Amino acid sequence: MARVNSLIVLDARDNIAIALQELPVGMRIEQSDIASILEVKTIIPRGHKIALVDIAKGDPIIKYGERMGHAYLPIVRGAHAHTHNVIGDRVSTEPTG
Amino acid sequence: MSISTPSLLTGFLRKNGKWGFRNYILILPLHNALNQLAEEVRVSHPAQTVITSVAHDWSGEIDSDWDRIHRVFSGFAVNPNVGATIVIGVGSAVEEEIVQAARAKREMPIAYLTLKDSGGFDNLRKLVAESVSEVFPLVTSIKRESAPWSAIVLGLECGGSDAYSGITANPALGVASDKFVELGGTSILAETMEILGAEHLLAARAKTPEVGQAIIDVVARYERSITYEGIDIRGAQPSRGNIEGGLTTLEEKSLGAAKKAGNAPFTGVLDYAYVPTEPGLYFMDTPGHDIEQLTGFAAADVNITVFTTGRGTPTGSAVIPTIKAATNTEMAIALPDLIDLNAGTIADGTETLAEVGERIFAEIVDVANGKLTAAERGGHREFNLSRLYGSTQ
Amino acid sequence: MITGYANNSRGVGIRSLQLILPSVVCSTHLSKKVAEEVGAITFSHQHGCGIIGPDVAGVNEFFVALAGHPNVQSTLVLGLGCETIQGNELTDSIAVKFPQTRYVVIQESAGMAGALELSVAAARQLHVKSPQAPLDHLVIGVEGNPEARFLDGFGDLVTKAGHSLVIANDFKEPSRNFAKLVREKAHVIASFPDGNQPPTGLPLIPVVTIANAQSLLHQALIDDFDCVSGTSPEQLLEKLFVVANGEASKAERNKIGNIVVPRMVRSV
Repeated sequence: MARVNSLIVLDARDNIAIALQELPVGMRIEQSDIASILEVKTIIPRGHKIALVDIAKGDPIIKYGERMGHAYLPIVRGAHAHTHNVIGDRVSTEPTG
Repeated sequence: MSISTPSLLTGFLRKNGKWGFRNYILILPLHNALNQLAEEVRVSHPAQTVITSVAHDWSGEIDSDWDRIHRVFSGFAVNPNVGATIVIGVGSAVEEEIVQAARAKREMPIAYLTLKDSGGFDNLRKLVAESVSEVFPLVTSIKRESAPWSAIVLGLECGGSDAYSGITANPALGVASDKFVELGGTSILAETMEILGAEHLLAARAKTPEVGQAIIDVVARYERSITYEGIDIRGAQPSRGNIEGGLTTLEEKSLGAAKKAGNAPFTGVLDYAYVPTEPGLYFMDTPGHDIEQLTGFAAADVNITVFTTGRGTPTGSAVIPTIKAATNTEMAIALPDLIDLNAGTIADGTETLAEVGERIFAEIVDVANGKLTAAERGGHREFNLSRLYGSTQ
Repeated sequence: MITGYANNSRGVGIRSLQLILPSVVCSTHLSKKVAEEVGAITFSHQHGCGIIGPDVAGVNEFFVALAGHPNVQSTLVLGLGCETIQGNELTDSIAVKFPQTRYVVIQESAGMAGALELSVAAARQLHVKSPQAPLDHLVIGVEGNPEARFLDGFGDLVTKAGHSLVIANDFKEPSRNFAKLVREKAHVIASFPDGNQPPTGLPLIPVVTIANAQSLLHQALIDDFDCVSGTSPEQLLEKLFVVANGEASKAERNKIGNIVVPRMVRSV
């Protein structure tokens, strides 16, 4: 069985997916577990997260169907969701500067 | 159950009913001035694969960590993978306390040789070498025999995690762990910091409400102490390597890390380096630091460990065979002599979770039966006394 | 009177040691293999990862202090790659003062065999033959608690000879006091171990050990000490000069003792 998907969606409730390869800007991803064609807005390194929907500031980030933190900046659909816009809810504090 | 009937498990039956999958003579220094001497004796022996030793920083100081230090040294000395232990020390009351505790924990040959009694480093080196030769025939005369599944005390560990850890190697290890627990074995999840954010899911699987509460409490205590101390953990958890690998938050890392424990119910919660009292799945309160965790496992009678890694790490234990499972194929290919097994095939789409789970199960059995791990072949014997340095916990 | 080695911008040291510096516990085993292969010094430790708060800067600074010690001629930093202490940054902060510094990282070296090969090659390339040079100002570390009268006499003697003393006695254990003497760039150490502590040293700085007359332990181990109790300040200074000029102290010859990295907070 060869890999067909460039993303893995871990749970139907998730608002992010994991890149199984580096995703270049402008790449259009179509796979059965994604609602509509997803256009990559920023480069996504392999193993990193891409937003499946527009995520507002303060919205939870859902992975494995569970809350893993929240967006401290808005994230558009197709953009890289990582430490520059996502932070944990506990222990760690909002970044300064 | 997708896992087929495995091959026969064999081990070394100890007098306390525990099983070992290795049969070492351990040279255990109780003072950092003796690290080198322990190693010299180990490497000078012709049967090097039978002899093991550790090195550490401790120089006999007694502080608020004494209870922890005492438990780790005395537990490590009697790990079931050890057939005989030669404790070497300076010659002090605290060392004697450790030796006595070890002797009370398990009936086995435990020698205690000191600088004070031997009158110097040269003579002590000679006496330790003689002691090794003396116990050698006794230890090597113990033969492997057929072991029940309850012999397995499996340590679950991850280090250098990446975004694939929670998708590939960790859940696949969970499949294998579940199977051992179902067969009557013991499995231990650890790293308190790395279940923070996933503890509610684990607590929901507790066998009793008390155990569930204990899981919640142990994380809350940790979180509180970190907050009280006003310590910024960013940079340590998730580590910079984790972040480069695609993990963003501690909760995310935890949700993935907890998958190592599969779906079995939790039998109990253990404090650092405490021995499980009955078979089943446990959570142990340890730091996320790989070697502090591994050392705590060794002191808690863990006899085999699977260590999942995304970035690749060479470390191992002086007494526990440590199987490295790669979370991604790229790293497994790039760092071949660090890795025993590749679980990255799940993300590649070439193997299912169940198939990799079965492979991990089979590898654990093979290694238990004597197959050497990458870390063992490399001679890795990392050891770390986990210190709290007066931190509240 | 003392001939040492001009260890580049570190100054004149009494040894010219190549340091293999593991930035994390995960690279200590490799460091040991490399050091054995090329005849360098190294040490095993448990730090560099899972450290938080003051320990991040503290461990980093201590590593930089080790690499900047005058007895060191060059440093090879060995990292794993994913640890808290980033080897490349550590290497940069050493190399900015001491160009004889290199970095090898296991995760980018095709595994342990590859990393060993690269490290050995890097260490051999780095090795410099430091020229001999006179050492006019010897920094003597005093570890432990010699008798006050002895220390006064010794101090006078050292000062008159144009040298200086640094004292470290915060802990009972010599291996914990050595950290301060590393930072203070002591060339050589006179160690007066607590009566319950054995004579010990560290790979970086030659340590001359002096036995305590009241200690049964020390009397039992008397052959492992460089100086018996009752040694005069003059005799001790003479011994330190001999060791500074190249004779191995007992701890140095027997490779007794490790470098202990100071820590403040538990690991996470």
